[in-house]
Amino acid sequence: MKTPDPGTWRRTSPFAILFFIGRILRLIAKNAWQSLAPLFALLVAYQGDLVSKLTLGGIAFGVVIATASLLSYWFFRYRISDDAILIRQGVIKKKQLDIKFDRIQGISTQQNPVYRALGLVTVNFDTAGSAGNEGNLPAVTRALADSLRARIGKNRIPADGAGSEAGVRAAALLRLDWRDMVRIGLADRRALIVFAVIGPLLERLGDDAERIIANYVERAADGAFQFGMAGGITIIIAVIVSVLLVLALISVGAAFLRFHNFELWLDGSTLRSQGGLLTRHEHSMDLGKIQTLRLQQGIVQRWQRRFRMTARQALASGKQRSGKVFMIPVVTAELADRLRARFLQPEAGRLTQDPRSDQFTAVSPYYMRSRILFIGLLPAVLVTVAFRESFGAAALFVMLWLPLVSAAAYRSWRRAGFAHDDDEIVRRSGLLGYRTVGLLFRKVQRVTVTQSRYQRRKGLASLRMHMASGSVRVPYIEHETAKRLRDYILYKVESSRQAWH
Amino acid sequence: MFENPEVAIDELPGTDDLGWQTLHPLYARRIRVQALIVLGIIVVAISAVNFLPHIPLLPIVVLYVLWSITAMVSLLWPGLSVPRRGYVLRDKDIVFRKGVIWQSVTAVPFNRIQHVETSNTPLDRRFGLATLQLFTAGGSGGDLKIDGLGKDIAERLRVFILDKAGASIENA
Repeated sequence: MKTPDPGTWRRTSPFAILFFIGRILRLIAKNAWQSLAPLFALLVAYQGDLVSKLTLGGIAFGVVIATASLLSYWFFRYRISDDAILIRQGVIKKKQLDIKFDRIQGISTQQNPVYRALGLVTVNFDTAGSAGNEGNLPAVTRALADSLRARIGKNRIPADGAGSEAGVRAAALLRLDWRDMVRIGLADRRALIVFAVIGPLLERLGDDAERIIANYVERAADGAFQFGMAGGITIIIAVIVSVLLVLALISVGAAFLRFHNFELWLDGSTLRSQGGLLTRHEHSMDLGKIQTLRLQQGIVQRWQRRFRMTARQALASGKQRSGKVFMIPVVTAELADRLRARFLQPEAGRLTQDPRSDQFTAVSPYYMRSRILFIGLLPAVLVTVAFRESFGAAALFVMLWLPLVSAAAYRSWRRAGFAHDDDEIVRRSGLLGYRTVGLLFRKVQRVTVTQSRYQRRKGLASLRMHMASGSVRVPYIEHETAKRLRDYILYKVESSRQAWH
Repeated sequence: MFENPEVAIDELPGTDDLGWQTLHPLYARRIRVQALIVLGIIVVAISAVNFLPHIPLLPIVVLYVLWSITAMVSLLWPGLSVPRRGYVLRDKDIVFRKGVIWQSVTAVPFNRIQHVETSNTPLDRRFGLATLQLFTAGGSGGDLKIDGLGKDIAERLRVFILDKAGASIENA
């Protein structure tokens, strides 16, 4: 008799039911709430005591969900064979999923508080060429996740002894503490979006405040009580400041939730991170798959002297818009350079991505001209002419747009620049903050040199390097430089024997 | 055997004095015919509006004037733009140039090509033309697209490039 595969069909831990409950609820929230809403309405409209009906409905709903997740758990089985992981699931409609180990790009794990207490994790498999995760293994032990990870590591990098054993982890490259959480929270742009959303509410609040102030002022006038306008303004300022404070607090809280105890480390040639307060998020990216490295700095981060670093992987084919992004939420320029040297060694990583460095070559100042002309002067003149009749000389105020655009053009010209050596190029750009993008020449997919009429007259051109993760443009450089770079990139790509992905 | 010879930057092959291949001689005519069809539909629509009662004259006249300007530009433009388009097939890449006001030169190395596609519209078929499209990774619709090739040339290019792309994968 032949010996079967070492693995046998197994069920995951019963705590996986939690995972299935979550999944069913999400499914209902996404798809089925329209069909449930009339049911709910019927329940309410039907005669009888509302409270008891709702209790009954709630119980019925709970029972249905519980049964469904219990069944999902019961029919979810998996097996780990020599070269693949096999998953069988589905209560009525059976689903079979076989994922070959060599197709798995990486594993990410999640841990909610209950799982953490029990040492369980939910494993997600990232596979190439699929939108999002394909497979999940809910509530398996940490040891199993680690052994799977080791298996995949072995498949991906044969003969590279550096792949760490399960459970043994290399020293962290970066650890974030509470000060970093505060930095992340304060620099988060989403706080502004929240502000925009509750803006109208704030206006209502403003109205109320006005009424209250008016009341006070009236009373002050009545009782010769010295309160006056100054007091009113103080109240308004206090309201605004406290709202901003609350927003900042929410934002910092979100940073704690997402990145608490964030750790970054290298596992062989795979970059990994882990962080999160309640649910631990774990991410990974193969160093060889990195297409571009980005360092970004907004206004707040400039004041903090910190950056956000992201590594981008190729876009999956098909409709998926954004490729996989590995994020390091907060780093200093020095650490970022040390990290990129680690990530790109031995072939590259000698350049710095620190925007303040003096290695960058400036682009031509003619860069400003088209911006001032087409974004500044042209609209300003058109609007002035259009409103001349109705507003008269006041229409000339529109011309104030021009110095604004000019200042912006000047700033973005000052920030634009590039630096390269034999293997890589770093482009710098920005308006209020800074952004630098670094890439390896040999990973370029195609190159375009473009010239407008004006650029032709001045002997300038723009170089665009298309990567698998999007394109990077170096604007307004000497035409000769652009052509030389293009020819060199083609040489690097065409003589490269390494995989670009 | 691994070789890694030194390379002099100045001796890298450039793209300045390449023998640019032009597109099919009927391509400009094809663009004009297509423009005429669209223009015809538009002029029919305008005159239909013209015959409706209670339509003031001025907007109709403006429409006609706009129409004639568009017609003139779209019939003359191919005479300028088509000669500017061209491609060069080299041993390891294909270079394509285009543009009258914004001129661009794009180079696609064969060892980055994912797949190749030829296609033709009914109008293309009448003129014996085809479109060649080269797809690289991560392209968001911006992959290299060469319109107005002769049908047989497009097919030959497709086979040649596919062959080159396949060879580079085997060597890698």
